[in-house]
Amino acid sequence: MPEYLETTVDKFIFRVAADRVYSGEGLWVLAEGGNVRIGLSDYLQQRSGDVAFAEVKPVGATLSAGDEVATIETIKVNVVLPSPVTGKVVEVNPSMATAPETVNQDPYGQGWLAVIEAEAWDRDQAGLLSPQAYLEVMRREAEEEVKKL
Amino acid sequence: MSERRRKVVVVPCSGIGKTYGTVTREAAFELTEHLRPETTRLVPLSLLVLGDEASRAAVAQNPTVTIDGCKLACATKMVTENGGAVLQDYDILDVYRRYKQFKPQGIAELNEGGMKLAEALASEIASLIDDRGLDREGGGQHA
Repeated sequence: MPEYLETTVDKFIFRVAADRVYSGEGLWVLAEGGNVRIGLSDYLQQRSGDVAFAEVKPVGATLSAGDEVATIETIKVNVVLPSPVTGKVVEVNPSMATAPETVNQDPYGQGWLAVIEAEAWDRDQAGLLSPQAYLEVMRREAEEEVKKL
Repeated sequence: MSERRRKVVVVPCSGIGKTYGTVTREAAFELTEHLRPETTRLVPLSLLVLGDEASRAAVAQNPTVTIDGCKLACATKMVTENGGAVLQDYDILDVYRRYKQFKPQGIAELNEGGMKLAEALASEIASLIDDRGLDREGGGQHA
């Protein structure tokens, strides 16, 4: 179980897993040897809403950082998720086809999206955010969102 | 000798300003006004929240089907809190997953996809009532 950083904005509580890095768009990246596992941050899943469908690029798909790696359709919006890394998809979470609600239920665990064989990890990693940095980015975004309510 | 019939109570989500909440209510209207007007009745969630005695009695004394518009499951929770037995609860997101071709949009007025989704759900509930005999005395089992 990872440790979490936590922040409260208005009545919402958001957690950031401290054992991984983040893209500015709200995807987490967990290094696993030469591969990385990716998923949605707690903030991104809460902001997006209950997931109805999730479509992840298939195994074998090659991606550059910024390319679409998945789309999720939620009760509120359709979200295109840009890959945080360059590489090849080597595994897709089968739950995304059968039980996409795991994204909401367990965003940092069972709700992962895909495993990517990272081809330029050192370069990509430099553009990603530490948990503390992401927490601040997320807090600012959340505060802006709350103002709109 | 004819079987005694009873009314199945339907409690949809009361979420205002939410597309999926609207779908739940349209499904309840379709069921109670068109598909099974003789054997179903709608109880507004808002009346349960307000503690309306007639509504509380209705859910406590009749088989009840709930249609929730989100994971908060307010309809199911309020029926249970008011002494009702939920024989079947529907989560509109699960229903939508079964009918991906019907993408609901709009709030006050649903698009065609939303109306078709509501009709599909109403038909499912009507079939459930028929198959399990929920509208017959002694019929039905808890979900």
